[in-house]
Amino acid sequence: MEFLLENILNLVGFLVGLVIGIMSIIGFRNTGSPTLFRLTIAFFSISIGFFVIWFGYMLEDFVIKSGNIERWIQTLGIIIQTVGYFFIAFSHSIKSFFPKSRHFRSIGIFPLFVVSSVQIEHVFRSVSFILLAYGAIETMLSYFENRNRGAISVAVGLALLALGEFLGWYSFVFPESILYSVSITIKIGGLIALFIPVSKVPLTKMKFDEDIE
Amino acid sequence: MAEYRTHMKIIGDILSTTRDELQDIDGATVTYLIRKANISHSRISRILKTLVSQGLLEQTDTQGSNKYRISQSGREFLQAYYTFTKFADNFGLTI
Repeated sequence: MEFLLENILNLVGFLVGLVIGIMSIIGFRNTGSPTLFRLTIAFFSISIGFFVIWFGYMLEDFVIKSGNIERWIQTLGIIIQTVGYFFIAFSHSIKSFFPKSRHFRSIGIFPLFVVSSVQIEHVFRSVSFILLAYGAIETMLSYFENRNRGAISVAVGLALLALGEFLGWYSFVFPESILYSVSITIKIGGLIALFIPVSKVPLTKMKFDEDIE
Repeated sequence: MAEYRTHMKIIGDILSTTRDELQDIDGATVTYLIRKANISHSRISRILKTLVSQGLLEQTDTQGSNKYRISQSGREFLQAYYTFTKFADNFGLTI
């Protein structure tokens, strides 16, 4: 059951990230917007992260069958996803903290995280949780400014992904409990919520970049 | 507090003015665009030069004064700008 849910999550994450990443890169190629460039990196990273985990599981379960590759594959996938979550949070931090500074807009400001953990996977899950929670709060705040309903869905999506990461991290404490399955289900819900408003953007009316089409 | 506009937003404002709010069929004067886009002469001059060189605006010389009107590429860019502004809005971001 857990294996099936995990595969569904990884495939949904891969597809949602890929579609939003492609839309972002089309937008970047058509407008040259740095925000869309950051979203492109973010969602391609998220997509690749989910794909790495899914591909690793498939490779391990059906080809290698060694029984010890999964943890490293999962860690690598989570690190790549964290890069994606970082770029979402980074875009918000530029808007909120450095709206007028060209210097800060041109370079990366890496937030400092005080974490203590013996395993890399735990560290990156913690970082992902912080970045996702920050992204969800900022998106919800932007809803109060613009009243754009799509922002609610994205904020809920990011919040569910954050909750899923938290429960996934917490399930290490209770490894045999239902927590991990609940975490995966919540993350699938989060990805779907993330995709709903983006699916309504009317891309068919515009002329795409010739290289993309 | 005055609203901060990104460079992209200013370009969008200039292009939409040259598309929707023209008083003259030959195009809009720099003075008219300064008033509508609410930016300085030196800044708008640089932006107009870039937009003309990119083919988004057409420049005409009428009775000794430069006038600007939107090109077909400019219209397509503006449509893309509106579409992806909505896309970024969903993430609580501005392009």
